[in-house]
Amino acid sequence: MNTESVWEKVSKPASYPALGQDISVDVVIIGAGITGMTAAVELAKAGLKVAVAEARRVGDGTTGYSTGNLYIPVQPSFQNIRSKFDKETVHVVAHSRKEALDYIERTVTEQAIDCHFSRRPDYMFAENTCEDFIAKEFEVLQEAEIAVEYTQNVPFPVNAKRAIFFPNQARFNPKTYIDGLAKTFTEKGGQIFENTEIIEAGEKDKGCQARTARHTINARAMIMATHTPKGIHLMQMLAAPYRSYVVAASLKGGRYPDGHFWNTDPGGYVSSTHAVYNKTLDMLMVAGEHHKTGQAAHADVEHYYKKIESYIHKNFDVEAILHRWSAQHYQAADGLPYIGRAHRHAKHFYVAGGYFADGLTYGTVAGRILADLVQGKDNPWAKTYDSTRFTPVASAGKAIKENINVLGEYLRDFPGNHDFSRVSDLKPGEGGVIEVHGEKLAVYRDEKQMLHAVSAVCTHLKCIVQFNNAEKSWDCPCHGSRFALDGSVLEGPAIQPLPARRVET
Amino acid sequence: MIAAAILFFALAALIGATMLGYLLKGKHIPKGLAMLHGPLAVVGLVLLVVYSLLAPQGAWIPIAIFIAAALGGLLLFFKDLTGKAPKWLGVVHGVVAVAGFLMLLLFAYHLTSG
Repeated sequence: MNTESVWEKVSKPASYPALGQDISVDVVIIGAGITGMTAAVELAKAGLKVAVAEARRVGDGTTGYSTGNLYIPVQPSFQNIRSKFDKETVHVVAHSRKEALDYIERTVTEQAIDCHFSRRPDYMFAENTCEDFIAKEFEVLQEAEIAVEYTQNVPFPVNAKRAIFFPNQARFNPKTYIDGLAKTFTEKGGQIFENTEIIEAGEKDKGCQARTARHTINARAMIMATHTPKGIHLMQMLAAPYRSYVVAASLKGGRYPDGHFWNTDPGGYVSSTHAVYNKTLDMLMVAGEHHKTGQAAHADVEHYYKKIESYIHKNFDVEAILHRWSAQHYQAADGLPYIGRAHRHAKHFYVAGGYFADGLTYGTVAGRILADLVQGKDNPWAKTYDSTRFTPVASAGKAIKENINVLGEYLRDFPGNHDFSRVSDLKPGEGGVIEVHGEKLAVYRDEKQMLHAVSAVCTHLKCIVQFNNAEKSWDCPCHGSRFALDGSVLEGPAIQPLPARRVET
Repeated sequence: MIAAAILFFALAALIGATMLGYLLKGKHIPKGLAMLHGPLAVVGLVLLVVYSLLAPQGAWIPIAIFIAAALGGLLLFFKDLTGKAPKWLGVVHGVVAVAGFLMLLLFAYHLTSG
């Protein structure tokens, strides 16, 4: 099953070289997603010498696997944030996100990025849960001075009494947008290094240092914009990794409702329409079925795509199912992203993460905050999102739940607990954990009967990885590191690859 | 209560010996074992402390040794989780814990014989 996102398929990105020598810059940014590239452009505009190091290609991480929707609403909800914080916090979150949309629109216009940016509405509704949720959300949004209204006219197959209507939200092609930012950045003298995997990063002496296997980048400041910090970091106990699935379809007759439609029921899908190939709407995307990374309840991940496809077929006149992909997001314990210094004692080292599935907007907010912090400028949103905040009461419920879940995953690591007893039990296309001479191995048998074996012990904090049969990857159920079949790191906090192992057929 | 403490420590010791085997062979230590080993030993230690607080004669020497072993165990667990646990530390932890266990058996013997 091909699980490349539609944005990846249609983009024609420029290529950038790998880091080929030691360099010194003002700021090094690790990760060329929307957070890293937004900060990079802002810092380059300010005249700073900036280098961006990307382990793969620009925008190839979560940004290129998002659904291209830009909106003010947030997960879990504004009322959740209001219950844990205060009125002012909700105001900052709502207005920083609103301003992020305006920023993206200005950027697209000024830099003439052809990413099919368009303003369009957002509808939030509940079909089965209590109407009170929608009423309370509406009340909190009004308190935060966000222009919303109720509507009974949702241009979408939905069984809800009323929906919250958010005018003037937006959609775009996130990959093309990032490619545009990268172009602007390099035109302003910035350097991008693709296929440049940082294996060690931190503050050193009075500055920062990022190292690849061969070269070093010295900088006055560093931003780690990798969705979750690389290596071991407290944020990994506070922001839990989840994967969600997207199915994109074309509809008969080209009749696409223009909007972003969020069913807030537990397990409800988020649907949106996009102009991918043309300037007019030509694709429906439905996202949902999220679960903790590496903890799919169904061993066959195809199950999740099938459920979404079945929903699409039931509700729309489908011409064709075009694309399917999945993406990772991190859910912050207290409901707010972590944006700011890497830790309480950090002086020049910054991180961002915990965006839930609202990362295109939050990433833009983060990029702007971090650019200001690096320059020593005041930022009106920085305090609210401060990554070093201590919010035990607001965080306790989710943090305890998620970390007990992690302990449970460690407890499953027992001698004799494996997916397959023998390598010969693996059918072509199957993968799983096998114990050989007391060592747990992650073994995949490809369609040509070739075996691919690596250690099953995650190199981050030593959980046992699980096979993801849709993306043919090894996913860590504890903190969300993901590895390719050859053991190389795809995403998440792990830095080192899973070591290769030999197995006998 | 002493008998229960001995039982918990014995179970912890059995699992600990298994884990030490993995460590000395340079293999990944199954974390499920560590998650059982630690709590079993903690329950044993708590039982021993409660007994010592209530009884006229406390098992304070075994308790002191077990606390030292527990600190070593915590360090070992942290080192194992975040990198590579030193084999020597595993051996020292094991030796100290066994010393504590022997002292506890001796204490129990004196109780029953005296």
